[in-house]
Amino acid sequence: MTQKVNLSSVSLGVEGMTCGSCVQSIEQRIGTLPGVIHIKVSLEQKNATVLFDQSHQSPESLSEAIEDMGFESSLSASSA
Amino acid sequence: MTKHEFEVAMTCEGCSGAVTRILNKLGDVKFEIDLPNKLVWIESDKDVDFLTETLKKCGKDVKYNGTK
Repeated sequence: MTQKVNLSSVSLGVEGMTCGSCVQSIEQRIGTLPGVIHIKVSLEQKNATVLFDQSHQSPESLSEAIEDMGFESSLSASSA
Repeated sequence: MTKHEFEVAMTCEGCSGAVTRILNKLGDVKFEIDLPNKLVWIESDKDVDFLTETLKKCGKDVKYNGTK
């Protein structure tokens, strides 16, 4: 049996991080959410790039999860 | 109201800021944060388990030190 996975990548703006510890706690917490394959948080660019499975997460749900942790998150149109 | 003391592994203003925002969302709680000592005092009628869970949302280690 093969499972169909709809992978998608999104870049979210994250405000309020000031040190590596903030970055780590976000990566750890969001990284363990169901459907999250990979997360990279950048302190300099104030954003998080998340690779996720669309059947479990959406950009909105990921943004909410970050806000739940006490950081400001925005669905920034990734202008990378 | 009871005053609870929690030890939260905060390392910078970003961490304490996150804790502040989480607690603010709860609404009717009064709290104080002592960043150098990694302590958070919360005055609330809500039970300790609920407050601990709330603090854990920020992804830090949380330890309950009892009432003050």
